[in-house]
Amino acid sequence: MRDGAIFAKAGLPAVAIVTEAFVELAAFTAEAVGMPAVPRYVLPHPCSGTGDENLARVAREAAPGIIDLLEGHTR
Amino acid sequence: MTLQATRHQAPDEATALELFHMREWTDGLPVVIPTEERVVALLAGVELEPDVIIGKIGPSQASVEKIAINAVMAGCRPEHFPVVLAAVRAVGDSEFDIDNMQSTTHGMGPVVIVNGPAREVCGPIASGWGALGPGHRANASIGRALRLCLMNIGGARPGHGDMAALGQPGKFTCCLAEDEEGSPFTPLHTAFGYDADQSAVTLVGVDAPHSVMMQTNDDDPEAHERILRVVAGSIAIPGGNNTQIGNGPVIVVLNPIHAGVLANAGLSREDVCERLTKLAVTPNAVMRGWATKRRIPEGDGDLPALRGPEDIVLIVAGGGGMYSAVFSGGLAGSTHPVHAPIDFDFSCELPGLPPT
Repeated sequence: MRDGAIFAKAGLPAVAIVTEAFVELAAFTAEAVGMPAVPRYVLPHPCSGTGDENLARVAREAAPGIIDLLEGHTR
Repeated sequence: MTLQATRHQAPDEATALELFHMREWTDGLPVVIPTEERVVALLAGVELEPDVIIGKIGPSQASVEKIAINAVMAGCRPEHFPVVLAAVRAVGDSEFDIDNMQSTTHGMGPVVIVNGPAREVCGPIASGWGALGPGHRANASIGRALRLCLMNIGGARPGHGDMAALGQPGKFTCCLAEDEEGSPFTPLHTAFGYDADQSAVTLVGVDAPHSVMMQTNDDDPEAHERILRVVAGSIAIPGGNNTQIGNGPVIVVLNPIHAGVLANAGLSREDVCERLTKLAVTPNAVMRGWATKRRIPEGDGDLPALRGPEDIVLIVAGGGGMYSAVFSGGLAGSTHPVHAPIDFDFSCELPGLPPT
């Protein structure tokens, strides 16, 4: 989230990617860094450790939504 | 209902709190002042007379009333109280060796593990994210109530009745539930003969938990072996009593992901404990470089940290991720895990505690 906020503050399109378990924390962090509206995309939890094949599937499914957000579309 | 405790007078709660600190009746933190009204309200959830003796701690008998006073002080609500009573009952089991635990210089204390429906009915007692940390009222209050009983009934004052050289933060409070729903294994209390739908506490005397980090990968066919080796290595740490002195039950808290990897490899609770016992060793050659006069092995081979799988209390808890935990044991094996049923009947509505 903090990386996303840093990019956003620098004027660069940014999307923070978080897993479901961290959605509340993401909102809190975004608020804390003064960028409550930093776009974020939510992945299933857990992602790490779930194997290359699953990670590739998650990435394929998430990519269009993340690109949407980067292009400034709200979800 | 007649209460026996000596009454003390104070003009207000703030003055009463200072009296409690001055008389060393607290753990150092503020307590809820145990007025008669509050103690009576707490007793509403149990069908025991206040003078019933639940167990002995050190020189003193722990009556229901004395335990209730300490539970009010700790911040317990009436629904928490049956768990506190069960924990004190378990502490009184001679197998637990509470007197030795109170007087050792090792920073040990009881960990209270809750299984069965009481996890919700008497709580909720947390078993997920941060279950061993702050932010869960029932966990914090129940564990603290037991500690206040050990101090105020059992006389465990630092440097006097409690000779822990340093102590550890878990001695303020340490209570959690097992995540039975997230666990692939049978619930802990069923290993002691309880039915899954019964409620029970299990108490284990251990020192502070240390984190066990393991990033698993579902593509890794050896992931379960890596978890076992890392957890076992965390049991057989150089400075642990299990290594330096030997014996002593430990607690292994597996997060649901680690537990899932082990279960998917076909391992049961018993299998995991068997494997960990075999792996939790220190090579004799290494041990000779660490050992004190207490335990210097000769020849080749390995020095075991545990006597057998029964020395491992294995539970599943915590948020899913990379971190499990191990609590090391102590007392050279004179303490054993103990358990007690949690008896509750909340068919009547419980009162709220009178406000502070």
